[in-house]
Amino acid sequence: MNVRSLAVVATVVSAAFVGCTKTEPPLSDSEVKAVFEKTLPSTVEDRIWERVPLHPAKLLLQDMVEPRLTQGSTSFVRVQSVTDGQKIAFRLSWSDSTLDDLPGPGRFGDAVALQMPAATTADVPAPQMGEQERPVEITYWSAIFQAVANGRKDDIHAIYPRAKVDHYPFEAASLKPGSAAQQEMAKRYAPARSLENPMAGPRTNPVQDLLAEGPGTIRPAEKSLSNGGGKYSQGGWSVLLVRPLPNGAQPGGRTQVAFAVWEGSHQEVGSRKMRTAWIPLSLGSAK
Amino acid sequence: MAKVHNWQIGREMAYPYKAAFPRRQFAFVFNINRCIACQSCTMACKSTWTFNKGQEHMWWANVETKPYGGYPQFWDVKVLDLLEKANPGKQHWSGKPSADLKRPYGQFDGQTIFEAQKMLTPDSARVLGYLPSDEEWNSPNIYEDNPVGKKGERYQFDKTGVELPEHKTWFFYLARICNHCSYPACLAACPRKAIYKRPEDGIVLIDQEQCRGYRKCVEACPYKKTMYRGNTRVSEKCIACYPRVEGKDPVSGGQPIETRCMTACIGQIRMQGLVKMNRDGTWAEDRYHPLYYLVHVAKVALPLYPQFGTEPNGYYIPPRWVPRDYLRQMFGPGVDEAIERYSNPDRELLAVLQLFRRSNRIIFRYEIKEGPKVYEAPLRGKKITVYNDTVIAYGQDGKEIFRTTVEEPLHVRPAQHANSI
Repeated sequence: MNVRSLAVVATVVSAAFVGCTKTEPPLSDSEVKAVFEKTLPSTVEDRIWERVPLHPAKLLLQDMVEPRLTQGSTSFVRVQSVTDGQKIAFRLSWSDSTLDDLPGPGRFGDAVALQMPAATTADVPAPQMGEQERPVEITYWSAIFQAVANGRKDDIHAIYPRAKVDHYPFEAASLKPGSAAQQEMAKRYAPARSLENPMAGPRTNPVQDLLAEGPGTIRPAEKSLSNGGGKYSQGGWSVLLVRPLPNGAQPGGRTQVAFAVWEGSHQEVGSRKMRTAWIPLSLGSAK
Repeated sequence: MAKVHNWQIGREMAYPYKAAFPRRQFAFVFNINRCIACQSCTMACKSTWTFNKGQEHMWWANVETKPYGGYPQFWDVKVLDLLEKANPGKQHWSGKPSADLKRPYGQFDGQTIFEAQKMLTPDSARVLGYLPSDEEWNSPNIYEDNPVGKKGERYQFDKTGVELPEHKTWFFYLARICNHCSYPACLAACPRKAIYKRPEDGIVLIDQEQCRGYRKCVEACPYKKTMYRGNTRVSEKCIACYPRVEGKDPVSGGQPIETRCMTACIGQIRMQGLVKMNRDGTWAEDRYHPLYYLVHVAKVALPLYPQFGTEPNGYYIPPRWVPRDYLRQMFGPGVDEAIERYSNPDRELLAVLQLFRRSNRIIFRYEIKEGPKVYEAPLRGKKITVYNDTVIAYGQDGKEIFRTTVEEPLHVRPAQHANSI
């Protein structure tokens, strides 16, 4: 690492902890070190993070697959990781001057994701969303999901607090509030919800488990196993993602991880994102 | 990019996928001359499909007042502007309208939204488009009924207004739904292949299970008829009331019926059908199909902005009173011939125009039985003769749906009810 890179890293690290009295964590330049802890942290503010090595992951333009991103936005995502031998937690933080979590037709939300090979083998699949028959597992967090999970109503009043709506079909006088019949009516004219599209519907978990076998193939995982939460403060996001260790990954072993960040105000969505290549990930063990 | 033949622009063009055509194509004709912007179509659609939470800004069917109105605001001006910037001064047509089904309007020599390389950027390399802002979706009726100023006085409203009977200003109502294009830009742009065109009727749908709300379709559709829904976080669009078109609506009796927006049209401007397709994407000759007749025989109905290149399946009988250069830009070079024929209809056209909105059932064939001469007089310098012909409409099952005459039946209210309203 040259002097300029070190200076950038120092700035990034100091920006992460501006205004707080917490101890700065040690740096891990070459890899993400998942340290072993008996209990995983449950928030981004847990004091464990003060001693977990921080890897400043440089973000690259996703300019290989259509639709491409050609103008950069977020430069770094700061990565810390902890494992308890069964699950692995990541604390991801990055600078973002705008909080984008509103659901308008011309608005896009901030988001972050981590990607791991579905099978832990010596050769990893292509970092761009994996390859056919060599899937990657993606843990995706969205600021819009987070706002809804935090209790914001998932409706037009999120954007226009004074909006007046005459009538929705599920508000018919014949439908008892909260009844199964009313729930059914609310879904009838929301086909994505009826079809259980994981993008749709009320959310309590701001995190999605996804699988991909190449660009354009992302699909929901069979089971939702991950969770987490994000918080916006001091001009940036800090997001906790907790997921099971991938198949074949053992405490004390190694695998790979990659990250992506979407800047909502820059209309980043889907493949229009800032992303990393594979980054080595070492998994701490109890010994 | 594949090369496909687009008969509306009379030439091969680039498209991201190989050409694939349905057996029949959902298509419609709107007669702008009759539209009064009552918005019955708009509300019929709204109250059927888009009145739930998250759809407040959605109007799959809308009627906007041209030239100023637009939903979303200025959609067509913005797309035309993008194309003009991509290919300055060269967005022209050549040749003349002809009987050739592969180039009935001549040839468009400019660039389509799939070909505008200069403006296509690596992040949007398949289709030239733009994403409307939230605000642009929010006023579907903006500029309704606003006429333009006096001739030669640009950018000014008419200070004295208009005195009847002479209209010195012009505007018209443009009713719109998704055009269920033969080369859909929404489908071309979707990175997830979550949009598909049905082989049985050409209806274009967004798979609500697959969509992840990236909105490349919203950006790409030049007509802006795919729309994002905030609370399901996916995009939706006009579904052409497919349960009705399939004959599965309980009221259909198993026979295909027209969409809600069509059947609600009290101005009787709309007719929707399913046209037979050739394997090369042109319309198969079906001489007594009313849409085939209006588009390819009488040639009074023209595609909306054919130069965009998507081969839209919505056709319009252009308004007679609007400046021709404006109409040529909107409907292509067939405008003059279309208005001439519509203004001086022959015997068959006059009969076919009576088919609009006599039934909800989709018409697959018509037949004319000649009737007596009922009127003869000069009109706009030409002699016109009107015959009270009977036109009979047949459904998919070959059975008669209805019959009607050129002269509308006259009902005289009985004397005892003369003032009973």
